[in-house]
Amino acid sequence: MRFFAIYQSLLDVLLINCCVAFSQYVVLRAGVFSLATSGIVSIGAYTGAVLTMRYGLPAWAGLLAGTAFGALVSIILSLPLARLRGAFQAIATISFMQIVVSVTLYAESITSGALGIHNIPKLVSTGTLVVVVAALIWLLSSINASSIGRAFDAIREDETVAVALGISIVKYHTIAFALSGAIAGLAGALLAYNTRAIDPEQFGFGLLVIALATVVLGGRVSVWGPVVGATLLTLLPELIRPLADQRLIVYGALLMIVIIYLPEGIVDTLKARWSRKSAPPQISAG
Amino acid sequence: MFAQQILNGLVVGSVYALFALGFTLVFGVQNILNLAHGALFMVGAFVGLYAVTLVDLPLVVALLLSILAAGCIGVLLDFFAFRPLRKRRGGEFPAIMSSIGANLILISIAQQISQAQVSGFPFGTFPIVIYNFLGLRITLQQIAILCCVMLFTTVLLLIIYRTSFGRQARAVAVNERTALLFGVNPSQVYALTFFIAGGLAGAAGFIIGLAFNSVHFLMGEPLLLRGFVVVILGGMGSVVGSLVAGLTLGIIQTMSVFYFSSQISDIIIFSLLFLILLIRPTGFFKGLRQDVRVGRN
Amino acid sequence: MTLLSLNNVERRFGGLRAVAGVSFDVPAGRVTGLIGPNGSGKTTVINLVTGMLGVTSGRITFKGDDISELPPHEVARAGVARTFQSIRLLRDLTVLDNVVIGFHRHEKTNLVENLFGLPAARRERREFRDRANVLLKRFGMTDYANYAAGQLSYGHQRKVEVMRAVAAAPDLLLLDEPVAGMNDVEAYELADLLRELVADGIAILLVEHNMRFVMSLCEHVHVVNSGQLIASGPPDAVANDPAVIAAYLGEARA
Repeated sequence: MRFFAIYQSLLDVLLINCCVAFSQYVVLRAGVFSLATSGIVSIGAYTGAVLTMRYGLPAWAGLLAGTAFGALVSIILSLPLARLRGAFQAIATISFMQIVVSVTLYAESITSGALGIHNIPKLVSTGTLVVVVAALIWLLSSINASSIGRAFDAIREDETVAVALGISIVKYHTIAFALSGAIAGLAGALLAYNTRAIDPEQFGFGLLVIALATVVLGGRVSVWGPVVGATLLTLLPELIRPLADQRLIVYGALLMIVIIYLPEGIVDTLKARWSRKSAPPQISAG
Repeated sequence: MFAQQILNGLVVGSVYALFALGFTLVFGVQNILNLAHGALFMVGAFVGLYAVTLVDLPLVVALLLSILAAGCIGVLLDFFAFRPLRKRRGGEFPAIMSSIGANLILISIAQQISQAQVSGFPFGTFPIVIYNFLGLRITLQQIAILCCVMLFTTVLLLIIYRTSFGRQARAVAVNERTALLFGVNPSQVYALTFFIAGGLAGAAGFIIGLAFNSVHFLMGEPLLLRGFVVVILGGMGSVVGSLVAGLTLGIIQTMSVFYFSSQISDIIIFSLLFLILLIRPTGFFKGLRQDVRVGRN
Repeated sequence: MTLLSLNNVERRFGGLRAVAGVSFDVPAGRVTGLIGPNGSGKTTVINLVTGMLGVTSGRITFKGDDISELPPHEVARAGVARTFQSIRLLRDLTVLDNVVIGFHRHEKTNLVENLFGLPAARRERREFRDRANVLLKRFGMTDYANYAAGQLSYGHQRKVEVMRAVAAAPDLLLLDEPVAGMNDVEAYELADLLRELVADGIAILLVEHNMRFVMSLCEHVHVVNSGQLIASGPPDAVANDPAVIAAYLGEARA
């Protein structure tokens, strides 16, 4: 029991990281270079915290509101981003993240500014998190197997081909943004109710790097990619305890090594190795 | 008061421009968004600081050393973070992720060395001389900063448009494969580009570190964000654009901090960035890189 | 019956006229050829028809509707499919998955059904996979179904591209150099397949350099040079047209 108690909070962190990872995963799978994840997680967290602390709403209402608001903001964001690609999308979404940080710092009457919101009741515990993550895995799996997943694949691999097949890029980008936003908003609210304290700065570049790293490590095609990535990333500090002071160097090096030598991520690379073992016959059999 | 703020803004803005020059150069030539550029800025500040405080070198020498050091780190950055990715397809994502990783490493090393302390230059490192000009208050330091930036910008323009390296860099920026056919060695061009970019960032770091008397391992991060604004506003790959945009940003920032607050200032600046990306993502000046994919033509 | 009609179509890039005053029709049930020297504007014409490029002036009509201003995905949905000069397959997906994506415009399930994996969506997926397998069998590629598309030989990759285009069950098929890199056996096989498709009523616009292929398949050929139409007619007439010979071999030899 004690063993479990010690590691329970680690498990909670892992599960929440999974949710954040899923949010980042959805957009990257669809070929959208959005880095807005941490901004929307912030919105979800503050929505949940404020609704409960200020208006006394129950957890389920806060979670629902966080999810819905996250999806809404994300969809609104997708409109101007529709014309941008690559580095420009990245920069636009990073600036969105900065705007969120600044707004949460500034709107002190609602968010208590830099002090953050504390003593949020612990309305979400491990059980809820496990259910949420399981539900997300199921949802994302069925999406991947459906026409949405097929469209995402086409758009990600080659937009020109996707368009030539009749796939509307705008439609599917919007779906990706909406899904990603909903998941991020949910993750934020869960974070608020589980860790009980939030402040504006924790939803900046640091969280963004974590979100990206999970997908880089795990892979952006299979739904297990973000799960593996989040698990590794959460456990990493424990695994490298002796190197605690050099933690960031380890993370940085890991990120570079993986993106250079294992660009598809762990899960997708393994899947590719297992299913396509040899090259096909080259003669024209007819 | 108003005019004073504009003056202050111009000075700050000129350093933003200096920082952004290297950033936009790398993007223009290599199509890479180098998120470790802020770290190069920080390296320059630290090297300059230690040159002055530990080795007691004169300011100009310290400046040159910061440029050299940051330039070399830039070359190393290119070698370890970007070179292995050059043959890869996959768009900008891998390079950006790699630069994030490199950034973490550089910041962490700096954190270790500086033990997370905020350091400053000893009092009087730069003589405090204040002039009164047309009712405006301007310090010798501010004049020196403006002169430095103008000098570096001019040198950069000369390099790009008057040297053989500059021609090669421009050729590679337009089309790497064709440049190869003309005998250009892209690897050399890329390495040298990073050296110049790093040098410029390092110079900016030293200048800011000295001017605000604050050197710490995270000082590059807020500058990176400012760099985005400058580069988008001015046009990716445009030297003149970076200059104008940097000055503009400096003014906007100084004014909005003065009249409102620093959070409002951030909100204004990043909303502006967002707006520009919507209306005119390629910026307002022509640069080295003309082809930007923005949907159907 | 004319399926596709180009009317005085022009496309400028700044001061450069890539395509100027091009007019021709593509009838259903026939293979129409579009040939010309390198850089003559053939691929630009295809890009204009598919909507990847907008026309500077002129009109393009398809099945009676003006498609000049339509965005590319809507042109595709209207029943136009194409292959690409440089093969564009989704390299990391299997051959089967590449063909399954071709069925996109025939999807009948809605967003909700796909979001939650409802039976209708799963049924549609099975149906598409079955239809894809039928296509693979028809093209003789069943053995390759589960290999990554990027691993195949050049000739096979071209076949997969054609399969994907055919999967869309288009009314108009635009083929941009479909037999480049294929050996004669493969080219003949493809020619037979195209004849079958045309017999079913599809219109085909074929851009090709392989003259034997063009001559054996096309009833009617249009020749472009420097963005302009310089000759039209049955293949043997066009082959002997002095203007065409001059375009390919240079003025001095005419």
